[in-house]
This record gives sequence, structure tokens and C-alpha cells, in this order.
Amino acid sequence: MKVEAIDYGDRRVYSVGAFNRGVASWLSRLPTVWVEGEVTELRRQARWASVFFTLKDPADGACLGVSMPRGQFDGLRLDLADGDRVHVYGRPELFEARGEFRLRALSLERFGLGERLKQKLAAEGLFAAERKRQLPFLPRRIGLITGNDAAAKRDVLTTITSRFPPADVLVGETYVQGPRAAGAVIETLRALSREPGVDVIVVARGGGSFEDLLPFSDERLVRAIAACPLPVVTAVGHEQDTPLCDLAADARASTPSMAARLVVPDLADLLQRLDRARAGLERGTRRTVERERRQLERTHERLDRAPRLLLERGRARLEHAGGRLRALSPHATLERGYSIVRSEGAIVRSGTAVARGEEVDVELAEGGFGARVEETR
Amino acid sequence: MTDEPSFEAAQKELEEIVHRLESGEAPLDEALRLWQRGEELYRLCRNRLDAAEGRIEELASRAEAAKP
Repeated sequence: MKVEAIDYGDRRVYSVGAFNRGVASWLSRLPTVWVEGEVTELRRQARWASVFFTLKDPADGACLGVSMPRGQFDGLRLDLADGDRVHVYGRPELFEARGEFRLRALSLERFGLGERLKQKLAAEGLFAAERKRQLPFLPRRIGLITGNDAAAKRDVLTTITSRFPPADVLVGETYVQGPRAAGAVIETLRALSREPGVDVIVVARGGGSFEDLLPFSDERLVRAIAACPLPVVTAVGHEQDTPLCDLAADARASTPSMAARLVVPDLADLLQRLDRARAGLERGTRRTVERERRQLERTHERLDRAPRLLLERGRARLEHAGGRLRALSPHATLERGYSIVRSEGAIVRSGTAVARGEEVDVELAEGGFGARVEETR
Repeated sequence: MTDEPSFEAAQKELEEIVHRLESGEAPLDEALRLWQRGEELYRLCRNRLDAAEGRIEELASRAEAAKP
């Protein structure tokens, strides 16, 4: 582009407009590049054709004005806020009317997980452990959100059906990449959570670049997962990636097949455990009955022995009493050669109790006789 | 009481009777009465155990038949 100058003798002088045009034309030959920085002073108005913000270098505070066509900016639905880190794809440009230099953005991507967003949501309690819901042991139906024809989808489905063949999976295919992904996943999440019988929802997306996974850190999606009436399991990216949706989910799996393991039990293992439990139950009950039976038989034997024992004991006691009775009887004394003398029926214990010529009666061990007192002493 | 005692109650009463008989405290008349009651309780407990065992066999065979 030819820029006209006015010559004043040996001095070439440019008008402001011409100078700006010249610089603008020179700038326009610079290549289109990616620039990274933090968004500040975002200015957007419906009547403006462009959106403006300042890109700030967090390291040294250097600033760069950025403009972007409003329709394009709105189409990205990035919901940017001050402090968000972004990558801007654009080229330098001079706003000729004001001689202002800035970056004309052609594309814009959020960069980094947004520590600010993470802190904000954490402060709201969205990631709190007590919010996490227990996954159903045996879901009637499983909602699966994945990209169409994705390896992640195949991994989840294969693992689910191999572990629990009768599982019922309702697949919601959607965008899992690009500017429309966050909104699309939210819509699918809402749709699946309204389907009858769905008890748990899996969001699965395989590995990808940092930018690929950015929709899964989108604030709206993170909130939608936290607000979902059903428990949500996420398996997004690889082990080392932690998109914010993982923090809001009720369970986080490192891979899609791990997510499948979380939502269905292993049927074969389950049946085996059930069998073992039943065998144990039967064994235990039999053992109890056997123990009670042995105890009862022992008690019964004692019962049977008891009356006989009682009789024997009574008899022994009786014999003992009889023995003592016999030992105390006067008859035993007579046996030893003693005799009892009675006078008129009364036992005579003293010589003075009778008089000479008195008749007395003598009792011996066997029989007795009558006698007359000859002499008293 | 028209209700039969539970297995545990019957077993407990039976053991108390045996204990009383073995201690020799009971007068003969009472001892005979206790013995009779004890035999009754024994029969009751036996029947309960037999019934329980029958039920186990029944359930076990039913479970076996239900196996896939």
C-alpha cells in the first residue's frame, strides 16, 4: 500500500491518517499467532459489533488489548470472567481512527482448569464429600453419555455386559468435544435423568488434549452434574486429568471400563458368593439343631435317672433310720443279757422300790417270768 | 395357658426340673409329678427339633432344585 507523504524541503511528513494506515498495513503482514494470558476488563455490549478485553501476562503484568467479533465470541459460550486464562488466536491490528494497537482475535479457548472457578465451586460445597451419593448396587437402567462411535462407549458397554449380562444401558450420544460439547452433555444428562428406570448415569470420554477436555470443566456442566437427581459417575480423559466434572461427580473412574465396574456388580462373582452364603446358612442351621439335640438328650438322660436316684436315696435314708431305730430299741439291750423288772407295771429302778414278799415281773430278751422278792438291799 | 411354650422356654423348664430332682429337695409326690412334666417337655423339644430338621431338608432340596 502506498502511503502519501508531503515533502517540506528535505523533510517528508505524513498525515496522522496516512501514518496509521501505513503502520496498519505493515502490521497486517505479521503472521496469525496464539497468545496466552489472563482475561481482564471484559467489555461486551449488545450494540457493539465487537467484544473487548485486556489480556494480561500474569508473570510481569504486561497488557494487550484484544477485540473479537461479538457473534463469534457469543457462539463460543465460554462464560469468561476476569482472571480466566485463555489462548487467543489472532493477529496484531491497529485501530486506525485512534492509533490504538490491539490483537484481533479469530478464535479463543479457555486454558487451564480455572483455579478460580474451582475455588468458587468448592466454596459453594459442590465438591463436598457429604454430597456424594451412594451408587445403586444393581441399577435397573444405566444412562451412558458418550460421543458417538467413541472407544469410550465400546469400553463401557463391553465391560458392563461382560460383568452383568442382563444390564439395561440407555446410550445418549452427544458432542464430547468443541464449543458445543458442554451444552450438549448437559442436555443429554437432563434427558437421561428423566428416562424411567434410569438409576445411575455414566459420563464417559476417552483421553484427549487438554483443550479437548475443557468442556468437562465448564461451570454449567459441573453444576448440572452436581444438581443431577441421579448419582453420576464420570470417566473423562486419563488418570492424570482431573476435569472439574470429576470433582462434582458422585464417583470418579480413571477409565471408562473402571466406570462400568463401578455401576454394575460382577454377576458370576455375585452368584458364587450367594451360593457360599447359602451353604453356610444351611451348615449353620444344621449345626444348631444338632447341638440342641445333643443338649436335649443329655438333659433327658439326667431326667430319666433322677426318679430312680431319688428312690435309691430315699431307700438308703430309710435303711439308715431303721438301723438307728433298731440300735435305740431296748430289745437290743436285753439281747446283751439285761432284764427289765416291773412291779405293778412300773419299771423297778431301785431296791427300795419293792418290799419283801412282793411279786414282780421280769422281762428277758426272750420271754420272761414272775418272781417274789426275798430280800431288799 | 393354651399356647405351647417356645423351644427355649421348654428347654429351660426341663433343665430346672432335672436340677430340682437331682438336688433331692423335692418330696416324693412332687418328684413324680416333676418327672412326668419333664418327660412331657422332652417330647415337646424333640418334636420341635425333628420339625426343624425336616424343614431344613425340605429347604435344602428345594434350593438344590432351583439351581440353574
